[in-house]
Amino acid sequence: MQVGRSIPRFESRAKVTGRAEYVHNLRLPGMLHAKVFRSVVPHGRIKSIDVGAAAAMEGVHAVCTAADLEGVVESFDYGPAFHDQPLLARGKVRHVGEPVAVVLASDPHVAEEAVHLISAEYDLLPAVYDEVEAAAATVFVHDELKPAGTFPDLKHLAGRKDTNVALDYRLVRGDVEQGFAEADHVLEHTFRTAQVMHVPLEPMVSVADAADGRVTIHTASQSPSFVRSEVARLLGWPENRVRVKVPFLGGGFGAKLYVKLEALVAVLSVKLQRPVRLSLTMEEQFFTISKHATTFRIKSGVTRDGRVIARSCDVWWNGGAYADIGPRVTQKSGFTAAGPYDIDNLRLESFAVYTNRPPAGALRGFGIPQLVWAYECHTDIIARTLGIDPVEFRRRNLLKDGRPQATGTIMQDAAIGAVLERTADRMNWAAPFERGEGSIRRGRGIAIGFKASVAPTTSVAIVNLSGDGSCTLYCSTVDMGQGSDTAMAQIAAEELGIAAESVTVVHPDTDVTPYDMATLGSRSTFHMGNAVRLAAADANARIKAMMDELGMPAGSNVPVADILRRKYGMQAGNIIGTGSFVPRYTSPDHDTGQSDEVTPFWMIGAAGAEVAVDTETGHVRVELLINVADVGQPINPRVVETQLSGAALMQLGFTLFEKMEFDAGGQLTNPSLADYKIPGLHDVPATIINETVDNRQRNGPFGAKGIGETATFGVSPAIANAIEDAVGIRLTDLPMTPEAVFRALHAAGPDALPDT
Amino acid sequence: MTPFELLQPRSFREAIALLDPEDVETRPMAGGTAIMLMMKTGMFRPRQLVSLRGVEASYRRIEVADDGALRIGALTPLAALERSPDVVRHAPVIARTMRRLSNVRVRNVATIGGSLGHADPHMDLPPVLTALGAEVKAIGSAGERTIAVADLITDYYETVLRPDELVAEVRVPAQAGRRTAYIKMTARSADDWPAVGIAISLGGGGDAIEDARVVVSAATARPTRIRAAEEALRGGGDPLAAARRAGEAAAEEAEVIGDAHGSAAYKKQLIRVCVARAAGQALEAPPDDRG
Repeated sequence: MQVGRSIPRFESRAKVTGRAEYVHNLRLPGMLHAKVFRSVVPHGRIKSIDVGAAAAMEGVHAVCTAADLEGVVESFDYGPAFHDQPLLARGKVRHVGEPVAVVLASDPHVAEEAVHLISAEYDLLPAVYDEVEAAAATVFVHDELKPAGTFPDLKHLAGRKDTNVALDYRLVRGDVEQGFAEADHVLEHTFRTAQVMHVPLEPMVSVADAADGRVTIHTASQSPSFVRSEVARLLGWPENRVRVKVPFLGGGFGAKLYVKLEALVAVLSVKLQRPVRLSLTMEEQFFTISKHATTFRIKSGVTRDGRVIARSCDVWWNGGAYADIGPRVTQKSGFTAAGPYDIDNLRLESFAVYTNRPPAGALRGFGIPQLVWAYECHTDIIARTLGIDPVEFRRRNLLKDGRPQATGTIMQDAAIGAVLERTADRMNWAAPFERGEGSIRRGRGIAIGFKASVAPTTSVAIVNLSGDGSCTLYCSTVDMGQGSDTAMAQIAAEELGIAAESVTVVHPDTDVTPYDMATLGSRSTFHMGNAVRLAAADANARIKAMMDELGMPAGSNVPVADILRRKYGMQAGNIIGTGSFVPRYTSPDHDTGQSDEVTPFWMIGAAGAEVAVDTETGHVRVELLINVADVGQPINPRVVETQLSGAALMQLGFTLFEKMEFDAGGQLTNPSLADYKIPGLHDVPATIINETVDNRQRNGPFGAKGIGETATFGVSPAIANAIEDAVGIRLTDLPMTPEAVFRALHAAGPDALPDT
Repeated sequence: MTPFELLQPRSFREAIALLDPEDVETRPMAGGTAIMLMMKTGMFRPRQLVSLRGVEASYRRIEVADDGALRIGALTPLAALERSPDVVRHAPVIARTMRRLSNVRVRNVATIGGSLGHADPHMDLPPVLTALGAEVKAIGSAGERTIAVADLITDYYETVLRPDELVAEVRVPAQAGRRTAYIKMTARSADDWPAVGIAISLGGGGDAIEDARVVVSAATARPTRIRAAEEALRGGGDPLAAARRAGEAAAEEAEVIGDAHGSAAYKKQLIRVCVARAAGQALEAPPDDRG
């Protein structure tokens, strides 16, 4: 048995001994180091850029602005959903930190010093920062919407002017106004989340090497296939002249998706005919990509006996200056914005909004944690209002298999009920709970969320058995710390009947490994896992065909090496199996958001939290955090467990203190690890339990489905619900800092603090 | 970060000789954890850094003097303080403070002298050492002198040290049964710099407090002794009531500044609560120098 076994990760030894390959360690002969000169204004027309002093500095090879790159490319603007992001700012800048010029030198310190010699003048434009204001503002970040054409459902936006709304997704089911009219209670709340950052500990880094009409890009990317096609499009080249290689990543979390530095280094290398390396500092990452701040207005109509009969949702996503994958986040998460509940009457609108903040994209959950934050806080408030136990209230409303979800897609293999019950069991929910006394008050909370997998996406894999029978697996899934090399080897090995440890996994190299949409959205175990399994099955079929051809009896246990030896007369040849996988998908109707096949699988995650609130300081200590997930059948239980704990701890930071802080002028005031803190060892809850429920995803490889994001879903609302349980206050904005808790707790009393 | 020259003297005297009082672009560097942050943000762009890492080993030694005082070389890394049996015995509050002082990577290189000379009010050791009545031996081109830690730091990033003068040693006097506590309150991660740091040291036996030192840091521009709070703690009566009065007095007297860790009003609240709690902890702590 190869799947379901907690074999150690293949790369562990190389990583702890410092032998694992990372782009950061790559040095090429003649390589130039690039350093970026960035905008210091949030919105402005570029009047002039003075690069004279920088270009004259000793050791500087070249200084480039947009004007210098225009002749090199066929298209200047890139992006997965909209072609809206320029290689370097052209005409105007749209956010603080936007790349405006780049210096190249053999010595990175020289390049950095020269950047300080560049100056730019801008005509300042009014700027918009808030997502709700921007949706209705008369200040426009872009003159015209330019959808990429990749996604058919964005085509209607082409050429739209005078708007900051990059996508307006709409879902209608039943009659929501009728539902509100029939309800015994109607409750409405608004929740917000802050803009935060992925903080991969390996900052973004790319090296491009152009020569002889080709360019090779070595990059820390989650999406090598996309980088290849997008860079080829910009250059006006066929894809086979662009090669993208990806070794290990020091974390991705969605920060390293689509094009980040790759297009710029590739174009610079093509122009200068020298290898070009660009490696961001931790500080620069904060200006490159982030997670959407959101505002979510949610309204529910409920009956006296605790049934939600109508719900309306309005979600605004603060996409920053460039859309990145924001419109996909807006739509895909929009499918489930009403929560894992069976509600007959729904109206849901979700808006991707441009603002003058640094761009936002996908971050471990593809928008889901922002939504669960709102709908699970809202759900708890309703339960309390009705005087019904929060677990019981959820139980009465859960979506069950066989019932249509908000989009109309019938639920299948979604263990929502089992996940909720297991979480409640592990919390001992039915037992009395000690609530503390004095200045330390204790409370507990629960929350459950779900996600539709991003669809439709394609994965292709190749299994190659060599003359001695040993197996090499070619796939473009990026192992960024989530253990995918090990899991894919286990899947191939299970199908082939060999030991997983004997499989060699080739890392993404677009000249060698076949297409994969990207390593994102917890899609790889399911999609690439299916492709790998199909490739292995194809190899098995070819072995059988060769045995038939050689007249070997079917079903006999002859080693592959012997079959090949018989065929070729010596240790030679290959058995090559290929597999490709794309799930069925029906694009939602534009007006109603309805679809009979909106996702190939559902991810379910719940969290239970016990907290202690210090009423004199506002500090919240999470004493117990339980994460329960439906991941189908775990391929590698130990890796699954660490993915669940890692996701939950990441979300814990977003819950309690992480926030990108902007001043009134749009300047980011904490873009460094000195001032933007992520959880450390002391922040880990005293007890953290990570579990999966027994379930089988019937169309998944060996019953498996996605894992990496699931434990982010419930953490924030579970903690907010526990805080209300402890001290009776409801926070509606993330993060819930000690000062925010204290202010809410003492809003009216003698200890009330003045506004800041 | 832009290029600079790294000087690596082999002795403390040589290091001092390399520091020119007129040259603000040449600065000493011990562990480098603070100065590197300032350089990365462009706040400080040195021409030369004088690394103290190569100086005599005696500057990173921890000793107990005949009078029971701890003598700690200025270049002693914080991790060594954390693990030193002498520190644990004579001033356990220092070792306890280390647990949430940044992380092990920082503690392995950051030094006790650096944490004093840097004079950022968001450091944990200056209030603790002030409460312990510690003093430093400073050596410069003009000679050697002794400065109480309480008098060393004058303002945000400002000390009484001359530009060519370095902290050479920290001397923590024998605690003779004093009881000391430090409370660090963070607003973000647990290992962040403090939003408020409160160090309290009490002298006297049992509940009778003869002498109290109350130091507030992080909320103020420099670690500051709060006399009104010390006064409130002295004498007899119900010690917990006295602790609460001390908290009120400290919140009243401290000149609090708001920053990214919290508003001034919130920090005042933290001072009120944490002074009372730190006093309570000190009262319950076993006396130091119990070895």
